[in-house]
Formats: sequence, C-alpha cells, structure tokens
Amino acid sequence: MKLIRNFFDSQRSRFAPGGPLGRWQAFFEAIENVFYGSAEVTRTAPHPRDNLSVQRYMMMVILAVLPCLFFGMYNVGLQAFQAAGRSAGHWPIFWFGVKTVMPLVLITYLFGFAWEIIFAAVRKHTISEGVFVTCILFPLTLPPTTPWWQAAIGISFGVVIGKEVFGGTGRNFLNPALTGRAFLYFAYPVQMSGDAVWTAVLPKASQAVDAMTAATPLVVAAGTQSTGTVEQTLNRAGYDLYTLFSGFYPASIGASSTLLCLLGAVALILLGVASYRIILGDIIGVVAMGYFLNLFAGQGAMPYLELNPWYHLLMGGTAFGIAFMTTDPVSAPHTHAARWIYGFCIGALTVIIRVFNPAFPEGIMLAILFMNVFAPLIDHMVVRFKISQRIPNV
Amino acid sequence: MAGAPSTALTTLADPEQVAFLPDKMPYIKPRLKIAEGDAVKVGTLLFEDKRNPGIRFLSPAGGTVRRIQFGPRRVIQAIVIDRHAQKEDHESFLAITSNELGTMDRKELVDRILQGGLWWVFRQLPFRDLPDPETMPPAIILGLSAKEPYQPLPKVYLQDRMDLMAFGVKVLKKLAQDRVMAFSNGDSPPPDEILPLLTHMVQGNYPSDDPGTFLYHTKSSPEENRAWFVSGQDLLLLAQLLAQGAYPVDRVVTVAGSRAPNPQHFRTRLGIPLSHLVEAAAMGEDARLVVGGLFRGYASDRYGFMGHYETALNLVPEGSGSEFLSLFNPGLLKPTYSRTFLSRLNPGVLRYDCNRHGGERACIACMHCSDICPVDIMPHKAYKAILADEVEEYLEHGLLDCVECGLCSYVCPSKIELTRTFIDAKAAYAKEPAG
Repeated sequence: MKLIRNFFDSQRSRFAPGGPLGRWQAFFEAIENVFYGSAEVTRTAPHPRDNLSVQRYMMMVILAVLPCLFFGMYNVGLQAFQAAGRSAGHWPIFWFGVKTVMPLVLITYLFGFAWEIIFAAVRKHTISEGVFVTCILFPLTLPPTTPWWQAAIGISFGVVIGKEVFGGTGRNFLNPALTGRAFLYFAYPVQMSGDAVWTAVLPKASQAVDAMTAATPLVVAAGTQSTGTVEQTLNRAGYDLYTLFSGFYPASIGASSTLLCLLGAVALILLGVASYRIILGDIIGVVAMGYFLNLFAGQGAMPYLELNPWYHLLMGGTAFGIAFMTTDPVSAPHTHAARWIYGFCIGALTVIIRVFNPAFPEGIMLAILFMNVFAPLIDHMVVRFKISQRIPNV
Repeated sequence: MAGAPSTALTTLADPEQVAFLPDKMPYIKPRLKIAEGDAVKVGTLLFEDKRNPGIRFLSPAGGTVRRIQFGPRRVIQAIVIDRHAQKEDHESFLAITSNELGTMDRKELVDRILQGGLWWVFRQLPFRDLPDPETMPPAIILGLSAKEPYQPLPKVYLQDRMDLMAFGVKVLKKLAQDRVMAFSNGDSPPPDEILPLLTHMVQGNYPSDDPGTFLYHTKSSPEENRAWFVSGQDLLLLAQLLAQGAYPVDRVVTVAGSRAPNPQHFRTRLGIPLSHLVEAAAMGEDARLVVGGLFRGYASDRYGFMGHYETALNLVPEGSGSEFLSLFNPGLLKPTYSRTFLSRLNPGVLRYDCNRHGGERACIACMHCSDICPVDIMPHKAYKAILADEVEEYLEHGLLDCVECGLCSYVCPSKIELTRTFIDAKAAYAKEPAG
C-alpha cells in the first residue's frame, strides 16, 4: 500500500502543470483515482460533500454489466461448440468464449481510453470515468466474430464523434457506445449482419465439418411465413420462451440474456444509478406499441403484427438496450418527466422498426439514437411547462 | 450525523475582546466613524452604510478600538475592540413599553430601530440585503426553527425570553402592519408558550427552516417575493433594545460537530472570538472551524471572531488524507444522499468531513440536485444558463427563489460548485442598476 502511495507521490510532480508530462495530468489523476480517494478538501460552503463521485457512479454501472459480460463469454463458447456439433465441459466452453471476447474488450478499452486521454490532454478537460462504461458496453453489442480492427474503428468513432467532438462526457448528445455500434452496422454490414456472424467458429471444427450456424430470433421472426404465427416459427427454430429469457442463443456477445439484463436493471434502479422512469417508460412503450399493432393483425396481414409484445422484450438486444443504453443519463433527457416520454418513445419505435422494416431486424439501437437526438427537445418542453408553473420571481 | 449539541446551556464569562465583522454584512459599503485607539461604549456608532447613512452599526462592547483589519481592496474585515473588564459603559436609548408601542407611529418605530443600530436584523428576500427603511414590507417572516447542522435550538435560546419574544412579534406586527408570518418546525418545536405567536408550522429537513423556503411554499403571488425576514435570536435583540433602552449583546451559540470537545449551547455575546468558545488547545490539528452551519457557514482560522448573524461554531474533521481504494469501499460509514453506499442501511450516527470525495467532472445529469432542491429549481439546468449568461433564462428557472442552502453542491457527484455559482449570480444581478 505504502509502495503505491509512494509511487503516485513521486510521479505527481512530473504530471503537474509545467512538469515534463504536464499535458497528461488528467491521465495521472484518473489513474490515481482508481487507487486513492480524493485528497482535495472543499474551499467553500457547503463544507461537507457527498461521498458519491462520478467514479463510483460509473463503477456501479460496470458492476451491473459484468454478469452480462461473463455470460456472454460462456454463451459465445456454447454456441460455437453447438454449431460445430461438439459437446464439451463448462470450462472449455467458457475458455473459448474468453479467448474470443477478451481481445475485443481489451482492444475497445485500449482505443477508447487512448482517445479519451488524447482529448483530455488537448482540450484540457478531465478524464471522465464514463469512458470506462462506454468501453464495456460497446463490445457486448458486437457479434462475436467481429474483426479486431473493426472493434477498434467502431469504438474510435463512438468516442471521438459520439462524444469528444462535443466536449467530452456530459456534453455529448448521443450514446457513444451505440454511436460506434451504429457506425459499424452501416459501414461494415457484411460483418455485422446476416446469419453467420453471431456464432464464433471453433478453429479445428471448421475444417472438419461446416459449422451449422443458426439465424437469430429476430431474423426468424421477421421471416415468418404466413402459414404460422411468429411464436410457432420461433419455437420451431428452437427459440422458446425459456431460451429467449435465459439468452442461450446466437446473438451479440453480451446482449442476449434478458434475465441478466433484468437483474442489472433492478440493481441499478435500487442503487439509484439508472432512472427507473426511463426503464419503465421503455417497457411500457414496447408493450403498448406491441398490443397496438396486434389490433391490425389478422388474415393477410403481416404475421409479425400479431406477435405477443412480451416477445419483443425477450428477443435480441431490447433488454440490454433498455437496461444499459437508454439509461445513460447524459444522452437521455435531463428532466424526470421527459424521461418517461423518452423511454416510451424508444420502446414504441423499437417495435415499429422491427416490425415494419425488414432491413433492420434489430430496432432498439436506432430507436435509442433517434430519441437521443430528440431528448433536448422533450427537455425543452418539460422545462417550459415547469417554468410556467412557477410564481415568477424576477 | 455526529456531533449534535446537547440542550445544556452554559453561561460564559465575557471575553477580553470582541469584534464587528463588517464584511459579513450583506452588500453594505461601510463608512468608518471611529479610528484605532478611540474609546467606545456599548452602542457607540462604529460605521454606517454609505448607501444609506441612516443604517448604523454600533459597538458590541465598551472599551478601546484595538485595530481595524483590512482585507484585499480595503474591505473592512474586522473592527476589534478591547473590552474594559471593570467598567463597560453603555450608550442609552429610549425604552418603550408595550402600551406605547401600540399607539406609536410606525415611522417613529423605524427611526428608533435605526438609531439603536439594529436595522441589520432585517433582511430582504431574495438577495438577503438589508431592506430600505423607507419601504413597507409585503410581509415579515420570522423563522424559529433550526434545521441546519448545528444551530441553537429555539427551545434553548427562548428559555426565559418568552416575554421578549412576544414583545418582538408585536414590534414586527407594527412594522409590517400585521403581515407577519411566524413559523417553526414540527420536529423541534419551540416551547408551548410561544405557539400562540406562530402562524405556520412546517415539516421537513433542512432547509425547511429557511425563510426563503417558507416563502416559496406559502406565497401566492409575485408581490410577496420581496418579503423581509428576521431570525428568532435577532428579534430577541431588537426586542431587548426597545424594551430596555440599551444596546443588546446577548447571544446563544452552539458549539457542535464531531471534533467539538463538548457539543452544547452557550449563552455569551455578539462578536466573540472563537477561542472564547473552544480553547485553542482543544480545537485539534485537523479540525475545520466553521462559523455558522455546515452548509452555509464560513471557515475561519482559530483567531477569528463570530459574525453578527452567526450563532454556531461547528468543528469538523478536515479530511485531507486520501483513502486507499476508497472507490471500492462498500461504505458502511460514508454518508451519502445516493444509494451507492451501504451507509444508507446504517442507522448509526455518521461522521461528516470536508473532503471533496471525488474529482471535478462535467455534469452527468444524475438529477440528484433537482431532486433535493427545496424550491424546485433544476440546478443543473439553471447552472448551464448561468454559464451561458442567459440572464432571462436563469431568472425564469427561479434563481431568485434559491435559498442558498448548499444542498445541490453537497449531493453533486461531479463536485460542481452549484450553490457558489448561484450565490455569485444572484449577487451580480442584485448589483445591476435597477430595471
């Protein structure tokens, strides 16, 4: 402990303004903050300050996402072995997943954090711990087969264009992780969509037999023929309710398990980190729009219209997006009432995009980004309303 | 919260020195009327306000002016007076009886208060400046509760002062033509005898004791925004002046906080040195001396004095060390408004210190500030409007309703100095030419 303290104390002067590494002071501060609490005392009233810091706030999100990460590793291994038609013990499965996923996570952190440091040095702002959250969320939304260089480009785009050019965390209006994900989706559709990308391939097995890859539930659902309901089609493809809820199906790395997303969301709500207003708004939006579309279902209509809305919450990345992406407080509206509206619109849009737009099997990513753009507008209306309720004091 | 004062009330002997701190009086421009070495009595004019020479500030002790301490840009920080221990002379003023008060002209009452040097007990919302004696207040608010950690409890400072308080309320009624609102907090009620004087009972935590909070929740029209207010102890001073015809210097002060050797109430005087309350040896090396409550008070060194409005000295740990792996500490003992520490489940007494507990970051819209604001301002939005110099916008947000309680700065995880910014913006707006 003493050793670490001494190390930081001895390096401090180098990073002080005017020192040889003065430009990188924010980097020093961010790293020191991981090991040590602040030594600063307040200079003005109020004299005591809350123990909660942004560091702690962001760490809570990371803790809530970690189960999804570990599940994702296991599931990636599981799907790969299943596709190859081989069975193996839990540890080999998990280990294969670790080997597939960890490089993506590490590359994301390396590039994301590097951009944050560079911008902090050039733009002279502090390093916000938000980047750690962005960098854990981003790889979990990727297909496990994503080339490493694409992960690097994606997170770079997300952090730089989605956030830094607007002044860093707190001033961005788009969710940086999703911005990066959307960039990859549109720039490299071959690696980001289709049936093959969602299952990592065992190196040896691929030579012996062709790996059997399966379509994701969303593709199955969208491709339902008029001969049966979507539920039946999903069931035939092996996606019963239990599978969808637990997440053991080919999907992006960490986004498939509705169960773990639900746990994460509940934990974040209990900790007061995520806004329950957004999460409930999302869910209400999905369900309401789902039931609304049910009204139009019937003979000759698209089979997707009559899907039970709760399936929307179980399939694909909806749960992950709701729990961890919509709740990003910065890109969400900054008033409570607006957060209800924001959530509702995201939920409704997700369903609309999924059902009516066969080109985009997954709707939540675009729905969130779209509503990110509208968040300030909803905010503005709410603020106007609240101001009109005040007795003016000018 | 650790360090709450007991209700014990100890009377202290008079100190050798007392001081008047003109720069703790809001907005005034003092013009000195004495010089170093002058002899003064209790109640001798020390300085007046250049903006309105009728507003006079009188000596809280009889003796010799020892030194006049100037700060940056010739701000008068302190007028220190050596007290004559044996013979402390008093200036005399006209006393009035309760009956005379009833028949007296309001104008004459105002003049008596101005002459008696106690106009400063009144302040006017929203800027908390001294009101113009020529004007008629829309209302006068008398707050009798003390929710800020830690201020003297009404039931302690009102002991044996019931008659004065009743007289004081009568004075207020005369001044405001019966538009007096007196309130107290239900959780720490004043003595029963005072209840008939009260018009409102409020509930809630700090700052429900603030006249600004009270006004925000009771007002029905913008006309009331410029109400005056007076604190319970200050009203006792005023009542004493008018009833007894002598400049009053009584004060009940709490010494509290987790570093205070013996947290309790003391009966003493205005403007005493801090070392009179807590011996220098007992202050401790790492204690911060906060004159006033923890959320609004000012930090002072151990040679400082109490300001005239202040009624508390809080000693809390500075907390300047950095804690190893504090980020990963479950935090059973770490006080927080959020739910990210186990302390939320800890019913025990928690200790606060003055560490900032985190680096300064950009706002992440966690909404804690707008959840906690007692007057429904959205501090994160108003703050951005202030930074953008959008005067109209931040006034619409209700900046002038801000009671300067400090809670938004307290809860902010990004450690943004919201309250400081609001106070400065209000002060800047107050100094703008009218219109």
